Amino acid sequence: MEISPFFFYLFAGIAITFSLFVVFSKSPISSAFSLIVVFFCFAAIYALLEAHLIAALQILVYAGAIMVLFVFVIMLLGADKEVLDFKKSSILLKFSAVLFCGIGVGGFTWVLNHSPILIGAGPHSLEKIKMVGGNTRAISELLFSEYVLPFELTSILLLVGIIGCVAIVKRKSLCVHK
Amino acid sequence: MNMGNMMSFIKPELLVFNNLMFKSSAPYLWVLLGIAFVIVLSVLNKINKKWFVFIFMLVFACLGVRSAFQLMNEPAVLLFNQMLVSDSFGSFFNILFLGSAIITALSSFRYLDKQEIQHPEYYILLLLSSLGMMLMASALDLIVLFIALEIMSLAVYVLVGFRRHDRKSNEAALKYFILGSVASVIFLYGVALLYGVTATTQIREILKHVHASQGAMSPLFVIGVGLILFGFLFKVACVPLHMWMPDVYEGAPAPITGFMTAGLKTAAFAAFIRVFTSLGYGTAFSVQLQNHFHDLLWVFAVATMVVGNLVALLQTNLKRMLAYSSIAHSGYLLVGILSGCLNQEGYAPLLVYLMAYIVMNLGVFAILSFLSSRDDTGLSLYDLSGLSRRHPVFSFCLAVFLFSMAGLPPTVGFVGKYWLFYSAVQAGEVSLVVISVLCSAVSVYYYLRVLVYVYMRDEVSSFGEQRSLSIFYHFAVGLMVICTLQWGLMPSSLLQIAKKVVMSF
Repeated sequence: MEISPFFFYLFAGIAITFSLFVVFSKSPISSAFSLIVVFFCFAAIYALLEAHLIAALQILVYAGAIMVLFVFVIMLLGADKEVLDFKKSSILLKFSAVLFCGIGVGGFTWVLNHSPILIGAGPHSLEKIKMVGGNTRAISELLFSEYVLPFELTSILLLVGIIGCVAIVKRKSLCVHK
Repeated sequence: MNMGNMMSFIKPELLVFNNLMFKSSAPYLWVLLGIAFVIVLSVLNKINKKWFVFIFMLVFACLGVRSAFQLMNEPAVLLFNQMLVSDSFGSFFNILFLGSAIITALSSFRYLDKQEIQHPEYYILLLLSSLGMMLMASALDLIVLFIALEIMSLAVYVLVGFRRHDRKSNEAALKYFILGSVASVIFLYGVALLYGVTATTQIREILKHVHASQGAMSPLFVIGVGLILFGFLFKVACVPLHMWMPDVYEGAPAPITGFMTAGLKTAAFAAFIRVFTSLGYGTAFSVQLQNHFHDLLWVFAVATMVVGNLVALLQTNLKRMLAYSSIAHSGYLLVGILSGCLNQEGYAPLLVYLMAYIVMNLGVFAILSFLSSRDDTGLSLYDLSGLSRRHPVFSFCLAVFLFSMAGLPPTVGFVGKYWLFYSAVQAGEVSLVVISVLCSAVSVYYYLRVLVYVYMRDEVSSFGEQRSLSIFYHFAVGLMVICTLQWGLMPSSLLQIAKKVVMSF
């Protein structure tokens, strides 16, 4: 499948730029809003790959629900008062951070350029998805047959999160004395 | 639209869940049922929650152990589109994880009373994290492995921070959460890269792919394997990825520290063995790639043993000392990984060592949970002065466990170390074994120093806090002492089990 290189590089570039904003921005609120842009760019890339359902879910779930939670938590904590100051970190730390990032980016570029892509199209090609009846149908069928175990385990993972939250915020102990 | 003519991705054979599959997944189902049951119990108002939750957690964990024992001798069964396997290897580790959860619960019961943090969530999270560990040891798919890793880790993050009123515990939980998440993400990136190279996340399919290309893999594959390796080495706290461990061990409640040393590390090593052999380590890699990973692991093993043992020499807090000793044990276990593919016994010595390691650590931490005072202090060496006069039985047990950790006969620690190093010599890793034995000799100093304080120093007078003894401590510690000595004196049954388990896998 061909995807337009222009749009791919456009959205990927915006995503990377705003990811950097997320990290380097001084106030949490602007970090959060930069993250929304990143999520939208991801959605656009998914749409370019004709994964329209994932694109829609990306916007609904990440840019919608999760970001609202983020912003809500930032608002509740009033975290905008504590602004991070990068000038305080030592020059050695900055230098080594830049150095390792450079090595990482350079290394991955080299590796990706030197890795021949040997595999053909997977079992879920575009034509097949069209024959099955579209993305939504394909995903829901796979989710409840081939990938049923990871799907159910994810719900256990969410259960762990819920119980963990309860355990962290709970006040009263079952202890009788005291 | 005519639905009948439409193709479908659903393979009909995947929609069947027959009796055999049901039986094979029984340990997981028991634990899940236990979790659901305990959750319901903990929201009921009319009953004495503390006892009910505790007892039912133990009952369901024991039922899980029982069905895992039954599955030990059964042939392997693939479950859920070959994403999970129920074989002797998995069942063996299921028994170990549930066993450590049971011993941890026993040694926590009075501890939680003492710390005034007796919440039912504690037991639910214990069960959940052991479920994650069980899935990790049996997963044949990297996605399932990742989710299981996250289930285990998330539950343990919360358990580490369970003493909420304590700053140290909070700090430990937060530190562990952030660093652990970074390691998980790196692991996941490795999985994604492997998927990019091989178009599958199932480790047996990946192995087929490696065999098909005769082990000469693209750089992308090597990087992917490296990132997965990083994730595992972080979880088992290998130097230089060990920085989180001492603080977390010190800040966590004492029984949870025991659970982490026993369960978490074993789960990581179980998955490590399964994934690495299945990615082709030792069997399918080309000579160059094999040497590359061998040397990498060699360096990690030596660094871990040397740093762990040397830094442990300087510690005066018992929990911190045991944290560094746990790092050192990771190094010995890596020796087992290195030599596992080169000798005839395979990974069996590693399994024996893991069992020995679990037994002695759970024992030591059960004693520490008993000894710790209300704010979880009182665990420095000086606090143990003259312990033998106050608690002669527990002092003796502590001595047995510490002898076992140092690897002195007649304990299971000796059996484990002897067999591990012997197989490493067979595999031709002579220099590595020399370093390990020297490190092990150094470790005798800091283990026995504890006993010097316990047996040969006078009691500190100001130390008069009354501790509530309970039958549960006695039971947990007694069981671990019996295992340590029984397996130490008569190791043949242990060795046979380990060999059988490794054959199955």
